[in-house]
Amino acid sequence: MRAETLLSGGPDEMVSGGGRIRPHWRALMGAVGGLGRPALAERRERLLRAIQEDGPAALLPGAAGGWRLDPLPLPLDPAEFESLAAGIAQRARLLDAVLDDLYGPQALLASGALPARLVLGSPAFLRAARGGRAPRRPLLHLYAADLLRGPCGAWRVLQDRAAVASGLGLVLENRRLLSGAMTEGFRAAAPRPLSPFFELWQDMLAALAPPGVADPAVALLSPGTAHGHWYEHVVLSRELGCALVEAGDVTVRGGAPFLKTLAGLQKLDVLLSRLDAGALDPLDQPEADAARGIPGLLDCLRHGAAAFVNAPGSGLAEMPALPAFLEDAAPKLVGETLLLPSLPTHHLPPGAEPPPLPPGHAAWAFRPAGDGRAAERPQRDPSREEAAIALPPLPMAPALDGDAMAPAPFVLRLFAVGDGARWQVLPGGLARLATAGQALTGRLPGGGWCKDVWVPPDPSEAIIGPAASAFRPLPIRRTPAALPSRVADNLFWLGRYVERLDRGARLMRSAIARLRRFAPLPREVTELQALARALHEAGLVGAEAMPGTGSLSPLADALPRVAAPQMRAQTDRIGALLESVRDRLTADMHATLTQTLRAAEAALDAAPPELPELARALVPSLRFANAVAGLASENMVRGGAHLFLELGRRIERAQAVAGEVAIALDGPPARIEAGLRLVLELCDSAITYRSRYLNVMQPAPALDLVLADPSNPRGLSFQLSAIAGALVEIGFDPEDAAAREAQRLLAQAEGVTQRLLDAADQSREAASLPPLLRGIADRIGALSDAVTRRCFALLPPARAVGVDTGAGAVVLGA
Amino acid sequence: MTTYWLRHRTAYRYEAAVDLAAHLLHLRPRALPGQRVLSARLLCQPAPDHHTETHDHFGNAATRIFLAAPHTAFEVTAESLVEVAFPPPPAATPPWEDVRDAATAAEAAEFTLPTATIPLLAAARDYAAPSFTPGRPVLEALLELNARIRADFTFQAGVTSITTPIAEVLATRRGVCQDFTQVMLSALRGLGLPARYVSGYVRTRPPPGQPRRRGADQSHAWVQAWLGPGLGWAQLDPTNGIVVRDEHVLLAWGRDFADVSPLRGVILGGGAHSLCVSVDLEAEGAD
Repeated sequence: MRAETLLSGGPDEMVSGGGRIRPHWRALMGAVGGLGRPALAERRERLLRAIQEDGPAALLPGAAGGWRLDPLPLPLDPAEFESLAAGIAQRARLLDAVLDDLYGPQALLASGALPARLVLGSPAFLRAARGGRAPRRPLLHLYAADLLRGPCGAWRVLQDRAAVASGLGLVLENRRLLSGAMTEGFRAAAPRPLSPFFELWQDMLAALAPPGVADPAVALLSPGTAHGHWYEHVVLSRELGCALVEAGDVTVRGGAPFLKTLAGLQKLDVLLSRLDAGALDPLDQPEADAARGIPGLLDCLRHGAAAFVNAPGSGLAEMPALPAFLEDAAPKLVGETLLLPSLPTHHLPPGAEPPPLPPGHAAWAFRPAGDGRAAERPQRDPSREEAAIALPPLPMAPALDGDAMAPAPFVLRLFAVGDGARWQVLPGGLARLATAGQALTGRLPGGGWCKDVWVPPDPSEAIIGPAASAFRPLPIRRTPAALPSRVADNLFWLGRYVERLDRGARLMRSAIARLRRFAPLPREVTELQALARALHEAGLVGAEAMPGTGSLSPLADALPRVAAPQMRAQTDRIGALLESVRDRLTADMHATLTQTLRAAEAALDAAPPELPELARALVPSLRFANAVAGLASENMVRGGAHLFLELGRRIERAQAVAGEVAIALDGPPARIEAGLRLVLELCDSAITYRSRYLNVMQPAPALDLVLADPSNPRGLSFQLSAIAGALVEIGFDPEDAAAREAQRLLAQAEGVTQRLLDAADQSREAASLPPLLRGIADRIGALSDAVTRRCFALLPPARAVGVDTGAGAVVLGA
Repeated sequence: MTTYWLRHRTAYRYEAAVDLAAHLLHLRPRALPGQRVLSARLLCQPAPDHHTETHDHFGNAATRIFLAAPHTAFEVTAESLVEVAFPPPPAATPPWEDVRDAATAAEAAEFTLPTATIPLLAAARDYAAPSFTPGRPVLEALLELNARIRADFTFQAGVTSITTPIAEVLATRRGVCQDFTQVMLSALRGLGLPARYVSGYVRTRPPPGQPRRRGADQSHAWVQAWLGPGLGWAQLDPTNGIVVRDEHVLLAWGRDFADVSPLRGVILGGGAHSLCVSVDLEAEGAD
């Protein structure tokens, strides 16, 4: 009953009381009307596809539904937007002042303007954020308000968002997707662009840095890929041109936060946080998990070593009962009357009941008085301290449901950023379409149905861009400034797993090609034995699948039953890694890679037990590996991210080549020719060999091509030389043990050709190579471990900063 | 008035090297009417790379120590010289119901709320209720409750830990100072009366004819109960059944132990660790 009264009968945004389309809708509806229904439905499909292929749904873990974007935007009346913007900016200033007092002198509590019990009992009140020095302004930097149209016809605040104020990433994505799908609408209605807001925001963030910092390091602090809004963090960090970091990437030294990067610790000056304030700092918050969070962070902020927005504990401004006191507090705190009031709100101590519902409203909504994270409930719990909020019927705007356009109820979210002196309101926003049973308040859900919000240009005003900021030429950088160690680690393993997938597919394909023969030749049986060993060593089949002298059927059976699911498990790992480095890839690269990976997964999932079909099911996996290689070489700037992806691939491939050649050559010298053919096939070098040596198969030329020839990108020497180069580029001293080891391995691989040429019997010599090659494979593994330890696990030794660290005990204070 | 020489030593030993450590200390006695801090200092070994001094939300002194070099032991010694003579509580106090009804005041409201370690248990409230008869002056009721806890509960070290729930202490009627303090806080807050958790030390009287045993003392906990607007807080030690006058040295107060724990840290590495704490509280001129 409540849902019905709320979700229908609300004010129509498009059509006025007189049944006429409002002026600010006309340009848009003209364009939409011109499209006709089938075209509009096609646009909706196109949007859905775009969202799935390259939108939040492509990335958000487990968000099957994700966000669905309506093709029809919500235009706002330009004049109404201007007054809303003034109201939003004032409200943000007011809430900042409230926070400043509550985390400072608490005059609002002493005077009784706010109930002490409400504030001090709120789970959002962060005691560790109070005390010590006066807090730095602004405490509130990014603010969002959810709005409904009150019975008076003016917008009213449903809830304030002051902790992380989610949704801007979604707004950006909506605008990007819609600009592709609704070009006619854009041409006709010409919404104000969003980019000036983000440029200004970027400047504001830089300006928040502690005084005296010339080139501030700004980072967006994200809870990580498992978080429901991680996609937004990626989008925002890109738009704002700042590093995307997680709590584990940050460490406190000498009273300041630092980013752990490959180049050592780099100071962070401004943190735009998307973390839950309750788990920020296990030192100051005993309830926080010590393994998460950043010990000492709050102390850094307390002493002004870095700016952190929104300030820890700013979620206090979201308290649902706070609006009951704002109208009285506004004149005292900002010297003005409140321009944009909340919906009628009452603070109900335990036992109290709300007054009669004010006219024009549909229902009371009840929320915990002090917890802005909690959603509303329709019933009062008299045992609890709650806020009662009078809800009017929701405003309605046309949305495309199926093929029909129908009015749909929505909640409008607008955003603003501020630097303590001024506030800028985004000329756009998010309209969340409400459905029955869905909460209107509390945290922004990870999915739903939404609209882009357009603010038409105001013809009476000149277009104002961001204030021309003091132009500061950036220092030219050609090396990655701050690649977090975690990201490098993920890229390295992404490289290794992609290569592993590629090797696995090649081995399986070669085995299937031979197993398909009705009666394999003796040479092919030998090759199959080698292939089975290689498959076993790659972890794709069990020991029982290795054909001894007898039957080949265990291998034929294991390929679909064991190897294919193993490959599928590898694609899962790759998917997770790909997601974790999402912010290092361009949208195109990401789209290409996720699509090809999905195709590989789908093919493996559907792989039938019949071998010929299984071979076909492996093709998408090979295609995916090729896509990674191609994109890495053509689309990624050398150095940084590319370096680690490349290093991972090269190490994996070097190890595999050395190991597989060892297996192929492991046999009597008389059978060496079969081994050589297999080696050339696995290293994709058969055609090159034929072009060089026709059909004459000899050990020295064949092994030269796969082991020693530096120009063969599938050969061992090529990998080792690439590894040696990458190590130096990463910053390993050429005299470092790992760098020297890479050079030694390269020399060994290159020495094989001469060794074979010098031998009296090349076949015998080739058959003696496996121990050497296995040794090389093992040493490459050790080299990989050394790189991992050096780059990813261990931090550079800490330096003592700040305090005189004389020997012996130091007296603190006196 | 009594002057005390206070020495609180905490030593951690780690099985493996700790690479990075941060410690939060509430070890400086709080300057108060009735408690003068003549000198206070902290010594630590190894020397910290960075340290800060602040006052927390409750006004307690908080020291943070950061160690960034590998170490296998960490030792903090807090030494201070403190003069103590807490004034006696006022002779006349309002009925306890008036205090309860005034508890929305900014200074007091926070200390009526439940916390993670001190929930408002009906069992605790029911235990206290007989002392809070209608219209009874609040101090009279508080003193009676304080004395009842001393009489009804057995002081026994080793049967409880800092994580023992209040419900268990209420059932077994055994524990140490922290347990009795928490029972009393749960009871008072359950009645709507503001009450604080206080961390500090109490002197141990030497047995007749013997020098006092060094290191025998330990961290102590007691209760501050609100007497109403303008009347301040009465300090009651339910472990000893006495009003706090000149036998205690106060470090810090908060809602519960987590707000005032004398030493807490976050370390990276270290493996297993052992902890050794010793406290000396010697009255000047005694001995």
